[in-house]
Amino acid sequence: MSRARTLVRDTGERWRRWAWRLAGYAVFLGAWQGVSTFLVEGFVVPPPRAILTEMGGIVASGQVWIHFGATLRTIAIGFAVAYALGAAAGMLMGRSRWWEAFLSDWVLATLTTPGLIFALVAAMIFGLGPAGPVAAVIVTSFSYVAVNVVEGVKAVPHELVDMARAFGRGPAPVVRHIYLPFLAPYLFTAVRYGFSIAWKIATLSEVIVGTAGIGFMMRQKFQEFSMTGFLAWVLLFFAFALFLERVVVQRGMRRVLRWRVTAAVR
Amino acid sequence: MAWVRSPRAARLLSWGCFLAAWQVAVPLLPTDLLPTPSAVAAFMVAELRRDTLAPHTVYASFGLSFQRLGVGLFLAFAAGVPLGLLMGLRRWAEDFLHDFAVAGLAMPSLAWALVAGMWFGFGDLAPVVTVTLAAVPFVVINVAEGARNVPADLLQMSTAYRVGRTAVIRHVILPALMPFFFAALRYGLANAWKGLVLAEVWASTEGAGWVIKFWYDAHRSQGIVGYALFFVLVALLIERVVFGRLSRWVFRWRPARQHDSPDGAGPVTAGASGRA
Amino acid sequence: MAGVRVRELRKEFPGGDPPVVAIEDISFTVDGQEFVSVVGPSGCGKSTLLNILSGIDTATRGQVDITQNGRPARLGYVFQSARLLPWRSVLDNLLFVQPARGPADRERCRRYLDMVRLGHTAGQYPGQLSGGMQQRVGIARAFSIEPDLLLMDEPFSHLDAITARSLRRELHDLWQETRKTVLFVTHDVSEAVELSTRILMLAPGGRLVADLPVRLPFPRDPAADEVALARADLLRRFESLDLLAG
Ligand SMILES: Nc1ncnc2c1ncn2[C@@H]1O[C@H](COP(=O)(O)OP(=O)(O)OP(=O)(O)O)[C@@H](O)[C@H]1O
Ligand SMILES: [Mg+2]
Repeated sequence: MSRARTLVRDTGERWRRWAWRLAGYAVFLGAWQGVSTFLVEGFVVPPPRAILTEMGGIVASGQVWIHFGATLRTIAIGFAVAYALGAAAGMLMGRSRWWEAFLSDWVLATLTTPGLIFALVAAMIFGLGPAGPVAAVIVTSFSYVAVNVVEGVKAVPHELVDMARAFGRGPAPVVRHIYLPFLAPYLFTAVRYGFSIAWKIATLSEVIVGTAGIGFMMRQKFQEFSMTGFLAWVLLFFAFALFLERVVVQRGMRRVLRWRVTAAVR
Repeated sequence: MAWVRSPRAARLLSWGCFLAAWQVAVPLLPTDLLPTPSAVAAFMVAELRRDTLAPHTVYASFGLSFQRLGVGLFLAFAAGVPLGLLMGLRRWAEDFLHDFAVAGLAMPSLAWALVAGMWFGFGDLAPVVTVTLAAVPFVVINVAEGARNVPADLLQMSTAYRVGRTAVIRHVILPALMPFFFAALRYGLANAWKGLVLAEVWASTEGAGWVIKFWYDAHRSQGIVGYALFFVLVALLIERVVFGRLSRWVFRWRPARQHDSPDGAGPVTAGASGRA
Repeated sequence: MAGVRVRELRKEFPGGDPPVVAIEDISFTVDGQEFVSVVGPSGCGKSTLLNILSGIDTATRGQVDITQNGRPARLGYVFQSARLLPWRSVLDNLLFVQPARGPADRERCRRYLDMVRLGHTAGQYPGQLSGGMQQRVGIARAFSIEPDLLLMDEPFSHLDAITARSLRRELHDLWQETRKTVLFVTHDVSEAVELSTRILMLAPGGRLVADLPVRLPFPRDPAADEVALARADLLRRFESLDLLAG
């Protein structure tokens, strides 16, 4: 009986939480709708319906695939290079003070300098082609990856490494059984942040030099002063980025972390 | 020879390598637009001596940007601190607001900048609003986390000793929130700064962000690179000097070694600083 | 010194089904100048009792009366862990709990820091002290408000045996000197025998099962026969409690 009562209480609690959450969305949408009908002109704050219709149109016309495809290609190339470089730099920086001093100014600078700067410099060097956005993606996501890997390397317990050395294990088992298990979560955090930053810088570059891509469309709508179109593209971007990050990346992460749990049990 | 192995040598060497690589790269790259280091240096010196082709000096431009940043951040804290406290202390508020705060964190500041530009047109308003919108989610999330983490055992101790409410707020609650305010400021500022530059490009006719676009449109490559380096220097200055000092002072009570970690003195969303 | 009167005190924690009874209808009185130990196995409601006495928690039912000549008594509380404000210096931690923070208070705080032999750490942060030193600061803090009643919740249980022994001696001297009323929670029977004038024994479920005076002269040498005997007697009772619980 006590179990049943606990269950009832838990369900009641869950319902209440969901109710508040839905209330949040309802209030948000209601306020939006209210503002667009009563307070300002429809083209300044378009009603949610209009944006939904527009999004539907973009998806139905197939435009979405052309532009998302263009952006994704930029990200895929840029991020792969950035990840390899960033992970290597992070390993060096985490293990040696010399390399840390050598690289830290640049990592910090790329971390804190507005992405626009890199987008503009890349545009200046590479002109209007696709190389500019790729270069901008490499430079910015590089440091996000590096920073996370440095944290990971520093989290590897020295005692364990010393212990392995004391037992005469060579570098390969040390890397495999000590470094990798400890690094795995950091490597994945690096993927997530590096990836989300890659998205943003890629769209930003397209706003400036793109001839296709989400950012390019955002600029077009901005220049046409089409709030509806602009918000529709932003929301699509948002949905797509969220999907990739939450579903694709995190699922992959869980798969590899499962390996990590078994490794730890063994 | 031992000197070469010191961290200071590494830092000098890295700047040297950067300049050398740049000099070598100029003829190799598929453009004749990339300026040489000396051209950029000459440009930067001229700018610093107020000798410029842009409508405003580098001091005036960065000064204006910092003003906008200050006002926007002030508004972000004014709105974000009460919201964050509410979220941290009341379960329903957490459920009500959580998804929006997270969506706000993930929103590219480019979108804020362009939306603000369309709404408010050219002027000071769009950049300030962009700064506020870009910083507010960081403030809310961090303050909420802080409010959830005020140490209960110290509050109990204060109750047992009948310590007054104002003293508790001043000596227990505010210091406990401090690391979270600090994180909010650091990451909120980083994101806001990036958004501000974008807003200045598309919704303003002055400010540091606008000037770099001015050089870009004027095809002055040494202007672009020179201004880019100004940005890098300002960023390093803020991060190393301002935040470094501030964090050492705010966390002076922590045992050594904890407060001098190179990045992320704040307790939460250290990784969430990743915005363009 | 303050007297404590507890009548039919009961504390239930809702949330379980049925609710957890932490203290079950206990009554006792403590007179001024007594050093009373509360012993009992883990989870029997000792901390809960102190929390109610100190006002941190409220009782489900019953009365608690702690007065000093008709006015509410002033309480000092030493916790299981030191509970110092990490961001305030040692001296400021003591000042934090002073009702008024005048120059006289500052003087007194320094005096009590000297008493636990930590006067030289007044300007340091708690993070710079060892665990034992922090606990001594906690004790100095409790004494520094010159309380009518001192509550202590296993103050030495986190410390190593040697530090604990010297702190016990220090506490005993302070008590001899000031003759505060002390309510001292512990699960260490020999500690209770060494320090107290009276021992209250709690059983699992928060029942008060014994109230034993300890009529032995101070200082008590743990090796002396009568102290050992008292300890053995108490330990026997204690173990029978555990059997009851099991
Ligand atoms: N906040 C709470 N909510 C629910 N139950 C609680 C709470 N605090 C204590 N309890 C329960 O009350 C009982 C008594 O707890 P208490 O902390 O007083 O024990 P204790 O005698 O101090 O034990 P120990 O010697 O381990 O410190 C325990 O069964 C505990 O689970
Ligand atoms: Mg306890």
